[in-house]
Amino acid sequence: MQAKERAYQWFINAVMALLACMCILPFILLVSSSITSQSMIIANGYSFLPREISFEAYAYIWNDAERIFNAYGVTILVTVLGTVLSLAVTSLLAYPLSRKDMPHRNFLAFFIFFTMLFNGGLVPVYLLYTQFFEFKNTVWALIFPMLLTNAFYVMIMRTFFQTTIPVEVIESGKMDGAGELKIFYKIVLPLSLPILATIGLFQTINYWNDWFNGLIFLTDSRLYSIQNLLNRILLDVQYLSSMDFGTAQDDLMAGLPTETIRLAIAVIGVIPIIAIYPFFQRFFVKGLTVGAVKG
Amino acid sequence: MRKKFLWGIVFILIIAVISAGCSSGNQNSGGNNGNTNAASPNEENGKQPAQKELPPYEITMVFMGNESPDLERVAGELSKITKEKINATVKLQPISAGAWSQQVNLMLASNEKIDVITTSSIFGFSTQAASGHLLPLEDLLAQYGQGITELMDPAYLNAGKINGTQYAIPTNKDMATQGGIIMRKDLIDKYNIDLDKVKTVDDLDHVFQIIKENEPKLIPITTNTTFSPIDVLAFFDPLVDSLGVLPGHDNDLRVENLYEHPKYAELLTTMRRWYQAGYFSKDAATTTEQPYEVVRANRAFSWFNVMKVGSAENQSTRTGMEMVALPLTEAVSTTSNVTGFMHSIPKGSKDPERAMMFMNLLYTDQELVNMLNWGIEGEHYVKKSDHIIDYPEGFDIKSVRYNMNNSSYMFGNQFLNYVWTTQLEDIWEQVDQFNQNAKKSHALGFTFDSTPVRTESGAVNNVKQQFKLGLETGTLDPEKTLPEFISRLKASGIDKIIAEKQKQLDAWAESKK
Repeated sequence: MQAKERAYQWFINAVMALLACMCILPFILLVSSSITSQSMIIANGYSFLPREISFEAYAYIWNDAERIFNAYGVTILVTVLGTVLSLAVTSLLAYPLSRKDMPHRNFLAFFIFFTMLFNGGLVPVYLLYTQFFEFKNTVWALIFPMLLTNAFYVMIMRTFFQTTIPVEVIESGKMDGAGELKIFYKIVLPLSLPILATIGLFQTINYWNDWFNGLIFLTDSRLYSIQNLLNRILLDVQYLSSMDFGTAQDDLMAGLPTETIRLAIAVIGVIPIIAIYPFFQRFFVKGLTVGAVKG
Repeated sequence: MRKKFLWGIVFILIIAVISAGCSSGNQNSGGNNGNTNAASPNEENGKQPAQKELPPYEITMVFMGNESPDLERVAGELSKITKEKINATVKLQPISAGAWSQQVNLMLASNEKIDVITTSSIFGFSTQAASGHLLPLEDLLAQYGQGITELMDPAYLNAGKINGTQYAIPTNKDMATQGGIIMRKDLIDKYNIDLDKVKTVDDLDHVFQIIKENEPKLIPITTNTTFSPIDVLAFFDPLVDSLGVLPGHDNDLRVENLYEHPKYAELLTTMRRWYQAGYFSKDAATTTEQPYEVVRANRAFSWFNVMKVGSAENQSTRTGMEMVALPLTEAVSTTSNVTGFMHSIPKGSKDPERAMMFMNLLYTDQELVNMLNWGIEGEHYVKKSDHIIDYPEGFDIKSVRYNMNNSSYMFGNQFLNYVWTTQLEDIWEQVDQFNQNAKKSHALGFTFDSTPVRTESGAVNNVKQQFKLGLETGTLDPEKTLPEFISRLKASGIDKIIAEKQKQLDAWAESKK
């Protein structure tokens, strides 16, 4: 019996170790390849232990250090502000929809659901945000378009409100003389911390990873977020090295470590999120389990 | 605890509002600065009665490039020149290459105010023109662009036409290409290879054989997915997309299916022979590494590349070792060579006349062109002699505060540029010679509009992607695969594309008469 149990433990651990390796090994390969030299990679291929340590790719990116720090600043601002605004808008929209006494709630819910299936397409979106709102080359262009509210999150949150907050609690608040707003932020929100944290985490990652808004709405490099900047460096390097109609630009290209830059950029982009993730994960797990038990 | 949280949110919101306020405030003040700048030289301008009737205007120029720290200063200096000549200031708006297609198409679609924009057949010029984003230029050109019409060979100028309407003006640069092979000079010398004997592709067998036998660690020919050897050694005018081509750049304007042409099959056999002899690497059909990097890493001997004046010198800087450039096809000028970079005036321009006047300056004003390309003399470059320039003491291409990636082929008349100390001293004379000696394709100036056959183009390109590189690097056996390739292309509708292309080409030829 005990032997069987032990074998089972070994088996589970082996599977888990394998899965963990599948996640970690590529990352190690990425890091170690980013700190070797370009010609080493072309001559010998990728390897876990770099044969020759060289930081030429990082040195190239370091030339742009000022821009990179600025971009980190933009990203952090946008992420914090965006997540807070997004949580406020999402919960304020989801809460009324969860109330059974809300008039036309089915129509409104369908209206929101509809946006999950159809959207206007890129050009109308661009026109709306540049000509009607005049967001072009402002920090708002990174916060509002496409990211602020997501119908899916509204639906999740509405369901959470509906299933975990008993109507009686709300009614009791009303009997004690609280207004709708007070009920919302004194009773409903505190009871919903798990879902707020979960959606907050989703949104944090969405805002952190977003490069597309920057790609279409920004031409002012001071407003580039880190992902947008890295994406641009990457595309420019690819473009410069694949095109062959320049003459003097070859001087510039001669020493450019294109392959390793790509890897170094990935490392720089991913490190902060790795550093932050453990702190959020606590809420994340709790959010899912709490929701599961009560739901 | 909760209060603190709330205060936190309020605090962040306040910061957000303040910072947004700041940023928009900056923009406003920037705009005001622009206006005051515009106003003060205006008074001086009163001395020039000829230009007096022109109201002040700001020309927004959108082009491919990255922001330099001194971009606005250079724009200010440029404005001084243009202020004097056409009473306009210049705003430079670079858009990085990676974001180009996405941003420019949105800007055009939303009619943003742009006066002069870079257009290119590589970046969807024909679609932009067909969607009505660009203004027709004939009248403007006749009225305000005499400098351009005098300078440019009409054959090149016509390449900016679509369906007989001029939508763009090509930049004046090298207008032809030539296919050839770039090889390592050290090995050519070491094994006493006589390059005079190499006249055609089939003469290369002997060269590769020597390398293969004596340098087992080197790949004789490296290649990548961007250009296959056959793309480089084109014996045909691709008519934009290689689906339906003009063999021999003439063929009496009869469009043919490239993949059925006997010469194509013949080239494939050569490639197959080379592949089987081990002259290509095993992953030739899929590798994306840049050939010059592979050579630089001492892994390969040669690669096929398009050639221009100074190719050997350029590739030597790229690889860090001395290279030889051996041309294998004649120099030919096709539409794609000419339409690589052009200037257009979008519909969003508020003053197209002034935009054309500015474009005229780009082709005729040496001071303006050089400032746009290299910055301010003494700060961003110094003159070594009358037309030879170099970086100022203590600066290089990475540290100089104004850098257009040396893309002088992108602006107006490249022949007006000063010459860098690293370039051939008479480079522009040589390029001019090269252009004049190059054969002009019979279909030079014809641009194919693929919209009527969009579905077929998509399907055919999918098939092409599946077979092309495998065949053209010899990885697949042409005897077995080429017939399958051709029948799949026909099933996807390549004949319909060729028929459409023939129709458009005939109409084009008719309109030229």
